[in-house]
Amino acid sequence: MGSNQALDIKNKEFMLIGGLLIIVAGLMAFFPSLNESDTTVDWISLPLVGFPIIVSCILLAFASQESRARKEVLAVPIRLFTLVASMIPLAISTALFFDWLILVDWDLMYNEYALEKEYVWIETIGVSWHVGMDGLSFPMVWLTTFLVPITIITTWNEKDGATYHPLLLMMGGALIGVFVALDLFLFYVFWELTLIPMFFLILKWGGKDRRYAAQKFFIYTFCASVIMLLGLITLYFLQPEGSGAQYGTVTGRTFDMTVLFSNATAYNMGDNVFLGKDMQNVLFAMLMIGFLVKLPAVPFHTWLPDAHVQAPTGGSMLLAGVMLKMGAYGMLRIPIAIFPDAVVYYQDVIMAIGLISLVWGAIVCLGQTNLKKMVAYSSVSHMGVILLGIASMQPIGYAAALFMMFAHGIISPMLFAVCGAFKHHYHSMEIGAMRGMAKWSPYLAVYMMFAWMASLGLPLLAGFVAELMVMIAFWPEYGWWILLPGAVLAITAAYYLWSMQRTIFEGGDEGQPPESLNGETPPDITLSENIGMIILAIFTVIFGIFPFIALGMMDQWTVAFFEGVFNMGGI
Amino acid sequence: MEVEVFSTEFWQAFAPEAILIVGLLLIFIIPNLGNSKFRIPLTKVQVPWFLGGRRFSITGSPAIPGMLATATLFTALGMMVIESVDGNMDTTTVTSNGLVILQLDNFSRFFEILFLAAVLLASMASLDRIPAHTFSGKKSLEELYDNRRQADFYILMLTTAVGMCTVALAQDLFVLFVGLELASLATYVLVGFHKESKEGAESGVKYFIVGSVASGIGLYGLSLLYLEFGSLQLATIAANWADSTILGTIALGLVLVGFGFKVSAAPFHFAAPDAYAGANSPVAGVLATASKAMGMIGLVRVLLVIALPEGDTDGSAIWLYTLATLSVITMTWGNVAALGSTNPKRMLAYSSVAHAGYMLAALTAVGAWKWGEIEAPGDYAEAIVAAVLFHLFVLVAFKLGAFLVLGLLEMEGGASRLSALSGLARRDPLIGTAMFIFMLALAGVPPLAGFMSKFLVIAGIVSTSVGELWMNGTVSFSDLHWVWWLALAMFINSAISVFYYLRIGVVMFLDIPEESRRKPLPYGASIRMAIWICLVATILLGLSGDTLIDMCYRAADSLNLA
Repeated sequence: MGSNQALDIKNKEFMLIGGLLIIVAGLMAFFPSLNESDTTVDWISLPLVGFPIIVSCILLAFASQESRARKEVLAVPIRLFTLVASMIPLAISTALFFDWLILVDWDLMYNEYALEKEYVWIETIGVSWHVGMDGLSFPMVWLTTFLVPITIITTWNEKDGATYHPLLLMMGGALIGVFVALDLFLFYVFWELTLIPMFFLILKWGGKDRRYAAQKFFIYTFCASVIMLLGLITLYFLQPEGSGAQYGTVTGRTFDMTVLFSNATAYNMGDNVFLGKDMQNVLFAMLMIGFLVKLPAVPFHTWLPDAHVQAPTGGSMLLAGVMLKMGAYGMLRIPIAIFPDAVVYYQDVIMAIGLISLVWGAIVCLGQTNLKKMVAYSSVSHMGVILLGIASMQPIGYAAALFMMFAHGIISPMLFAVCGAFKHHYHSMEIGAMRGMAKWSPYLAVYMMFAWMASLGLPLLAGFVAELMVMIAFWPEYGWWILLPGAVLAITAAYYLWSMQRTIFEGGDEGQPPESLNGETPPDITLSENIGMIILAIFTVIFGIFPFIALGMMDQWTVAFFEGVFNMGGI
Repeated sequence: MEVEVFSTEFWQAFAPEAILIVGLLLIFIIPNLGNSKFRIPLTKVQVPWFLGGRRFSITGSPAIPGMLATATLFTALGMMVIESVDGNMDTTTVTSNGLVILQLDNFSRFFEILFLAAVLLASMASLDRIPAHTFSGKKSLEELYDNRRQADFYILMLTTAVGMCTVALAQDLFVLFVGLELASLATYVLVGFHKESKEGAESGVKYFIVGSVASGIGLYGLSLLYLEFGSLQLATIAANWADSTILGTIALGLVLVGFGFKVSAAPFHFAAPDAYAGANSPVAGVLATASKAMGMIGLVRVLLVIALPEGDTDGSAIWLYTLATLSVITMTWGNVAALGSTNPKRMLAYSSVAHAGYMLAALTAVGAWKWGEIEAPGDYAEAIVAAVLFHLFVLVAFKLGAFLVLGLLEMEGGASRLSALSGLARRDPLIGTAMFIFMLALAGVPPLAGFMSKFLVIAGIVSTSVGELWMNGTVSFSDLHWVWWLALAMFINSAISVFYYLRIGVVMFLDIPEESRRKPLPYGASIRMAIWICLVATILLGLSGDTLIDMCYRAADSLNLA
């Protein structure tokens, strides 16, 4: 009887929390719109951002009330429900791209956004719930909506699925929030919100050192983003006071990015420099620290290998696939757009950081014995390519950076899915510990080969396009320095091929299963992993052969960006 | 509106405070109602007298004081909130010879609401934390003990509330000091009330001794102020501050010591961790929120109302450098000490020291006053004061909430080791999540109230340091006022603080519960209710704090800073 009573009481608390969430969702629906004449449907706020977060909160609150045994039973329906829920944003974002739902005008000038919506949020300090998408953010949004269901499918059998999969869904919602936010405050809120599900993913499902890795991940990125926040606040108060619906009733300033961009552009176009050169440089550096840590670029990269090695497969896939791109996205969205003169000032520094990341990441990869750590360092190396694209100051370099973000966002989840499959089936990720796995796990071997080839930049696969474009942009600006990234590509090929050779080939006819299997026959990957990886592989090929599907939009954004920010013509 | 003391208008204006006092008297009287009779001398006529004798079983129930206190606080709080939704209040109490005693304005009402909310939540939690055992039959010594101290505990709680309200209303430093001491003496005893633990009495005495030394120094400062100005009226001192001698400055420094102890600013914070660790958790929560806010009122009155440069004269306040140093030392010391403490209550105490440092940093920025292109320094000061008020208010939500979760753990045995929290999220996922959210709010993670408050404080500091430089068009970094670096110090400190807040989360979600804590948590309806209120406030005030921000601005506005 006593336990029965306790159950009743807990259900009451659950109802309280559920009710609270519904109230919050209701409030979101009734946010007063800033532009009252705008009656078009809001395809972003609730369907893409609010829905995944709210659904996952309710599922988590629900699942947390159940006993361990009940959770096992509930895991299957909750997984299915989460998968279906994660398909909805994917369906919407795909439909928006192909104009199935409504006609979206993706032909945008600089500082114009499709599906823009603005609601009043915190009036006193000029914060609004302002969302919209352009050629910079839409590919990232689509990528996120695409990766969340893939991740859920690939890691279908993860333990404690009743809470694991909702966390992935929440992660997706928060990530989309980062990409669609057009308000600095909102951007920061989502930026930090992504830390929380990731923290739990690492903490509860991670490897042996998960406690250390989760805390390091959280603290490292939090430290960097508070410095970024100080930069944002200083920038906020340095803006001229204004009046209008977006401006704070008390402070007279606004966090609205679009207003900030048009102010900055208006200044920078004349003989003036927005805020003065010295101030630009300081603020640019402060903002960049936050983004470089997230990217991560070399002096700030040490959190990444720890986080990746300890994180569960699904966490790694989203971390590498989308979360790292938040850094590159943020750079292009805020500091570079506002402080073009500072970009010129720091051009060589950015180039140096990019080159060091590229070279250092690749060299460290050569020495790795842990498959996942090697892939993690290869991410650092690839993120260096993005910085090179930015430092090139060529439109094609920027388009390349964008495409690199996108391509790496499809390839790296596959890399981590392969690593996860090794971990899951062989209980080991040591490169030297197993040999000849192609005999035992032909599917895994094929996917590994494919993913490794895609990542080292094989032509006709997505990664190649981006690397080629970066090289083209790099040459006119830095000349023969191009030999260095060229050499790194060779190193990349070396470590990938070498690790592949040792893991899936060699070892004679029978191969050499790892000791961690204790003599059992090595299994092949499961159906769910197969499905997840094959979809990723298909899209890698699609975007390798037809890059213009995504590249068209990126090109257009880049041209508009260069006209708007650097006052330069097209490619 | 000016009213005479005890006139009709006076009672209308101060009805909520009067209710508090009536409630206080009722807690004295009601448990003592009995069948005693009074025999009129030299006759045999016995008149029922009702006080003393054999107590009535209904009124003598040990549950009565707690309920009475909660109901009183709730009524008073409700009246205040309803009244302040209407907007501005302005009632000044003057004596016949023209002295201003109490002033009811948005500022004081704001703080009263804060105090009552904190004490109300704490007394709700205490209904379970120090339960009254009303079942009949044989009671254990512990239970008798609990019953015995009900009335005392809630009387002290209400006294604390009354004292704090007096501090908020006072317009005369002497009245302010009386209120401060009333509240302080009550809290000294409350700290010692935690009789289950050995440290309880020790920490009570320690807190009392250090506190009375600080009060003594503050009182000495007040006497010097009186010597200098011939009056302790805030208005009089503020008007004559500009032509005061060095004596005024010395007096100011001494008064700062008194208030600095209350807000637990370094180097006067040494008693705070001991007191918080020794007190039972709801009381520690009141100390960390309401008591700190009380000290902050003192600081605002003395530093901002009295000792700012007059009107819009150029130059900064004389305390600028002193307070800047103090604030940086306070926040760093608090955070570094919290890193090393394994007792969650001590950790929260040190974190509250760090938060005091943040607020002092904000006040420092007011001291920059008029520099550069700033035309109306009062507006900047108002924004900063509003941010500090917001911070103090939301602290009631998440810091008190964290203490209440510890209080829930204390109900099944102490909460003075970090391992007491281990596995909390498995034993009770909702309470564990609530605690984690409180920790995130303390660390300042968006979109919680803690982020909003830290954000406003930093925005206030930065806005002063930037001033109106944007008017020049191009701004150089070296043009900014140096208080900008305080904002950076705050950020570095809040980054440090994430270490120990996250540690609690990790322990709750990852570790295995202690041997003695494998059972479900004790239930405790009203303590859980209090935790839920704190949780909802933490989330909602972060998501949409507009109403509260507005209220803070109105409160700051009624200070009339130039």
